Amino acid sequence: MGKKLTLLLVCILTVSLFSACGKKAVEEETGAKASEVVTAEETSTTADEKSLVFAWWGNQLRNERTQTTLDLYTTEYPNVVFDGQFAGWGDYWTKLATAVAGHTMPDIVQMDYSLLRQYVNKGLLTDLTPYIDNGSLDLSTVDAGIVKSGSIDNGVYAVCIGVNAPALLYNKTLLEENNITIEDNMTMDEFIRVSKEVYEKTGYKTNIAYNLGDSFLTYSLRGQGISMYEDGKFGATSAADFIPFFKFYEQGIEEGWHLTPEVFAESKKASVEQDPLVYGSSPDVRSWSTMIFSNQLTAMQQAAPEGVEIGITTWPSEDPKASNYLKPGQFLSVTNDSKNQEEAVKVVDYFTNSIAANEILLGERGVPASSVVADAISKLMDEKEQLVTEYINKVVTPNCSPIYAPSPEGANEVSVLLDQLEEQLCYGVITAEEAATQLFEEGSKIVESK
Amino acid sequence: MKIKRKAIKKFLYNENVAGFICASPFIIGFLVFMIVPMIISLYYSFCDYDILSPPTWAGLSNYIKIFTDDSKFIKSTLVTLYYAFVSVPLRLIFALIIAMMLLRSSKLTPIYRAMYYLPSIIGGSVAVAILWKRMFAMDGVINNLLGMVGIETNFSWLGNTSTAIWTLIILAVWQFGSSMLIFLASLKQIPSSLYESANVDGAKKIAKFFKITLPLITPTIFFNLIMQTITGFLAFTQCYIITQGKPMDSTLFYAVYMYQQSFEFYNTGYASALAWVMLAILGLVTWLLFATKKFWVYEGGL
Repeated sequence: MGKKLTLLLVCILTVSLFSACGKKAVEEETGAKASEVVTAEETSTTADEKSLVFAWWGNQLRNERTQTTLDLYTTEYPNVVFDGQFAGWGDYWTKLATAVAGHTMPDIVQMDYSLLRQYVNKGLLTDLTPYIDNGSLDLSTVDAGIVKSGSIDNGVYAVCIGVNAPALLYNKTLLEENNITIEDNMTMDEFIRVSKEVYEKTGYKTNIAYNLGDSFLTYSLRGQGISMYEDGKFGATSAADFIPFFKFYEQGIEEGWHLTPEVFAESKKASVEQDPLVYGSSPDVRSWSTMIFSNQLTAMQQAAPEGVEIGITTWPSEDPKASNYLKPGQFLSVTNDSKNQEEAVKVVDYFTNSIAANEILLGERGVPASSVVADAISKLMDEKEQLVTEYINKVVTPNCSPIYAPSPEGANEVSVLLDQLEEQLCYGVITAEEAATQLFEEGSKIVESK
Repeated sequence: MKIKRKAIKKFLYNENVAGFICASPFIIGFLVFMIVPMIISLYYSFCDYDILSPPTWAGLSNYIKIFTDDSKFIKSTLVTLYYAFVSVPLRLIFALIIAMMLLRSSKLTPIYRAMYYLPSIIGGSVAVAILWKRMFAMDGVINNLLGMVGIETNFSWLGNTSTAIWTLIILAVWQFGSSMLIFLASLKQIPSSLYESANVDGAKKIAKFFKITLPLITPTIFFNLIMQTITGFLAFTQCYIITQGKPMDSTLFYAVYMYQQSFEFYNTGYASALAWVMLAILGLVTWLLFATKKFWVYEGGL
């Protein structure tokens, strides 16, 4: 009896092992969430079949839509198979860095404006100018300024696939219920006034882009006529330029209308689904607004609780026209590690110009860069997506200035320093003046040493 | 030709060589995945390396920076030391208490043993870490339980600098099961004749514990102490998932700080230097523990 039982158990274990392996293989093909190390594409046995690795960061909605688009490409070109790999924002860059070290970068990567210069300086991205010249990458319907934003030193290294702008997403339902109105292009004083009103009437607090890096600081500084970075160092001439920014937090915490940092200790950074605008079980951990980017409206609306409508408007600033900008939201780049560069370029072209593809993507990454495509899909977009397009075209475009130059190396580290100073300020450990001084001194050291 | 084959056969049949061949998978793995990376890491620690471009030699500058210009290094070392030297003794004490309670075999003992051992198997996983984070949230299980007992609170355990580290310590102590099993084994080895003669002499329970039990299991305590301290120093997953060093670096484990330097700031050379400094610190702590061994570990046989 013992022997038979043992044999049975061994058989069950072996079978379950095999089924687990099989399942894993299937899951890998459909690009399931896994923190595996990015692997280089393999050239398969048949000469024609190509396997491309495509990596991107995103939320649930984007992942689904991108995967469907890649499947669509494979139905049109059956010899191309994709290994779609996605991760959250932070993990994505770690994975990519590891892949760079191992010379196993994916063929196509989603690229961000803030890291573009660093990656180009290290010679990791392919210059797409030859492909534009010979027609395989058609950027004729893309605005010249947008093409330029993906260029460094006259080479085009990244193709913009979505135009964004900074957007203040807010709880429209909450404001309407309490007869509070806001308008586009509000100043910081108006914003603070509204925040206080919301806090008094409903107990909901505010979130001034807490721990989301240097986007809001850059925006605020532009409103004062100062650049964040100029020629590889701070545009600010002294720590005093940073003080107004830190004062917002100091005031907010003191007067109680800004969320306390404890709320953020419990959620994952930069996650749409855990943003205090849509997540949290009592008013004092919720915010009536959040400062992110226009392309996240759809995802935010999806993550919002039942009955809550999310509205969109501009970030507050002293001078909205100087502050606001159109941002190439995400780029697609082809990497130098890729062994199928031509095919990869075709895929990039597909994402930019194919109407069928964009009917699936529906501007989740931002308004499509190609005006032809943008027009074609506008009628297919649902209400929220049309709202975003309208926001970009009618609110931001007529009232903005060109985007800041790509950030220098070390900007990442300064961003983290800024987050820490915000945290210390909100916990009451330092004052706004001290935070400004520390940012100026230590930040300058970081950026100038690179 | 025949002589060569015979010589090879003789060589292979030699016991030592056979041993090596059997152990070769481990040896190869050890070399490739541990020794070689360690040497490369030592090389990187003397370089400026940002992963995206090849390393450039920088001499001792990384090490100098660690000891003169890095407040986070000091903070994370202190936090890690605090974590290791609080969670390990607590864990061992719990393990010992429960092991003593489980000495008396009853019908339910196997079930208890399994129950207490379970946390140490699943505890190190990412899933449990995420669960733990949720539990200690302002509207999480812990606060709800306290509410049921009458203490209405939505205290932010994770957001407060003095309590955040304790959520991590409690998570570590919760995984005492593995130490408990080792203690159980060594407790069972103490011959009952010693207890009997103590009973004859009229010794009370506490005296028996401190004079018989404790001295005889000091080797096990020592072993557990060394192993767990080393593991404590290297803790990463829990911190990375639950707190990422917040609030204000009060929970910044050394390993997480290394990770941040390497992968978020692209200062991999500096992070490698940090790794070797950690090795030195750990070596020092272990050496100290070994040096005090003769004062409290009963080495003599039973």
